[in-house]
Parts: sequence; C-alpha cells; structure tokens
Amino acid sequence: MRTKLLVAAAAITTLLSTAPVAAHHSFAAEFDASKPFKLTGVVTKVEWQNPHTIFSLDITDEQTKKVTNWSFEMGSPNGLMRNGWTRNTLKIGDVVTVEGSLARDGSPYGNAQAVVLASTGKRLFAASSRTDAQ
Amino acid sequence: MSSARYVALASAFVIAAFYTAWAQQGPSASRSVEPAPRLADGTPNLGRVPGEKGVWNVPYIQNMGMRIPGPDGKTAAERGTASENGGRGGAKAEPDVPFLPWARGIYDYNSRNNSKYDPEGYCLPPGGPRLMATPYPMEIIQQPEHKRIFMVFEGATHIWREIYMDGRPHPQGDELNPTYLGHSVGHWDHDTLVVDVVGFNENTWLDYYGHPHTDLLHVIEKFTRPTKTTLRYEALIDDPGAYSKPWTVAWNIPWSAGGELTEYICQENNRYLLKLTDDFGEPVLGGR
Repeated sequence: MRTKLLVAAAAITTLLSTAPVAAHHSFAAEFDASKPFKLTGVVTKVEWQNPHTIFSLDITDEQTKKVTNWSFEMGSPNGLMRNGWTRNTLKIGDVVTVEGSLARDGSPYGNAQAVVLASTGKRLFAASSRTDAQ
Repeated sequence: MSSARYVALASAFVIAAFYTAWAQQGPSASRSVEPAPRLADGTPNLGRVPGEKGVWNVPYIQNMGMRIPGPDGKTAAERGTASENGGRGGAKAEPDVPFLPWARGIYDYNSRNNSKYDPEGYCLPPGGPRLMATPYPMEIIQQPEHKRIFMVFEGATHIWREIYMDGRPHPQGDELNPTYLGHSVGHWDHDTLVVDVVGFNENTWLDYYGHPHTDLLHVIEKFTRPTKTTLRYEALIDDPGAYSKPWTVAWNIPWSAGGELTEYICQENNRYLLKLTDDFGEPVLGGR
C-alpha cells in the first residue's frame, strides 16, 4: 500500500515539477478563459515552432456539414517535450480532440490546454500559457 | 471543473498530504532535507553535484506585488492570502508597492489591457528579478577559479548572465551602458550570494503584470540554498524613478533533479507580434 501511494505521489510530483507552463505573451490579451471549447477534427497542419507550436484541424459542423479550418496554439517545443510530446505526436490526418479557450476576436483560433488523440486515447497537456490550465 | 476532475485533484492532494506526513516521519526524512552541496573550498554550490543532472525550475511569478515578505518573512502568495489567478486589481490592490504617480498610472494601464504590450510577448528578454520569474529551467554555474558565476536561462530568449566575483566596481558614467540584464557584481556574505545590479535599460517590465521601472533601477539580489532542493531568491528593488522607496520581493525556486536545459528560440515564429495592434487599431509593426 505504502509503495503504491509513494509511486502515485512520485508520479504527481514529477508531473508538477517537470511541466512548466510556457509564458510568452499575455494569455488574457488574446484568449478568453471564460469561453472554453472542446472540438474534434482532422489534423491538416502542424507547425512545430517557437514560441508556440500551432496546429490546424478541419472541423465539420455536425448539423450543416460545413467544414472550417481552425488553428490552435500550444506551448513551445521545449515545454511540449517535457509534457510527453514529440514533433511526430500529431500527424496530418490524425483525428484529435482539443480542449482550451477561444480567441477573443471570434476567429477560428484557440489556446489549447489538452489534446486527446483518437487513435490512442492518450491525453497530453499542451504547455499552455494559461497558468491554471493544469 | 467537472466532478471527475475535482475528485482526481482532491485525491492527489490527499496522496500528497499522506506522502508528506510519511516522509517527515519515515526513514526518508533525512533525505527530504538533504543539505545544500558545497564546493571544495566550502562555498555553497548553487548548481549541480558532479555526476548528477538537475536544473532550477523557475516558477511563473506573474505579480511581484504579491511577493513582498511581511513581518513573518512570508509573502501573501506563500500565506495563500492572494492568488494570481484572480482578477487584476491595479495599483489600488497593492498598497505595499510604493508607486510614484506616473508608475501607478502605467501599472493601471497595463492591468486594464491584460498586459497586451508585455515586452516578453515581443520576445525581448526579462531584466532584473523577472529573470527568476519567467518559467523555464535555469542553471547556475560557478567558476571560482575565474572569479565569476554564470546563470544560464533556457527561456525568455535563451539567455545567460555573467556575475563578476572579482571585486570590480560597476562602470561609472557613460562607461555604464544601459542593457536588458544590467551589470552584475557579486560577493559571498557567509552562505548568501549577494549580487548588485545596475545599468538597466527601460525596455523591460519587472513582471508580467507590468510593474514599470526606469534606468535608475538598482537591484540587490540574495541567493541562498537552504536545502539541496530549494533556492531562496530575494531582490531589493530600488528605483527612485518609479517608486518612492525600495521594496523587496522573494520566492523559492525548486530544484528539478534529472532536468537538463533544452533550446528555446522565441523569435522563430512570433505571430503574436505580427498581429499586435495598438490602441488605435494600427499594427504595432510595419508602416501605416
């Protein structure tokens, strides 16, 4: 029992201590924390770059069947790698679900806080600049 | 927060509390308070032990107004009486920060627009205490044989600073060239590394919340390593151009055993700056 608890505690400690947020620009100036979203789509583009990795999804509206291309900002590659990512975690054609906060300007753009890959079900934190995202 | 997430979070706290209680009583107690390492000459070692990895996990300190130690030595953030995730209250919410009137006005402006014009958003480096408040790993590398100390920062803009430990004074007059990180000279006061910094330019903010400073800024930093896993950072902010009297901020920086620095080049694809507009809707970059 003690061993299991220690393992769990160690895992939590590791997660907290090795997952610093990326802090580049003002989160609140660009995104609205009171507008959360959860969207699923097909990956069309991945820009594995500083200061933010940005990926795009084709998202189909369930009712109108209209497809809109959205983009999502994550942390920088260094922060993402500490959260378990590599440059090949997201590939063109993958189906993923993204959770985060919408852009204030109403454009199809968001700050991603977590990404779930449909193929594996694995949930990865996106090294968001939103401080309470984790 | 969903109930599942709440349960998970609550469970994590319970486990962490159990682990803490166990660690304090159990056989690992001595390990949890491992003393700070020392160099061969007895000076505190603020970096790695030979053969081990490790970096300082610089925390994300957004508002230094919450990091002013009270009579008990603890800050509002450490007492849990203030949170950076609440709203932005501006200067009136920070009675302990001795703003001059213009600094108060600028701070309120930065509060109202959610730090839209934060220089770090332009990929410019932090200066002064914000180096220890920008959340990317950092290493301290001591070279006593060369009488200097390097601090190497993965983040902000992948930068380093050199602290002269050879007893030299600051350059005087025009020899002191204003820079982002200023001119740092240090000495040891028993087990405390004391660093005196002057020569800042005015292109940085003290923190993300936007406390301003002028080129009169003079910072006195104190670094101590009370245990192997904790770096205590304290900075006296003395800027008669922006504040009516000096004020002090302090926080702990945790050690991340096994950590290593990686690359972070902020300037690569800074879309935020490309689409940033001023208060009149005009692009900040480019012609009008």
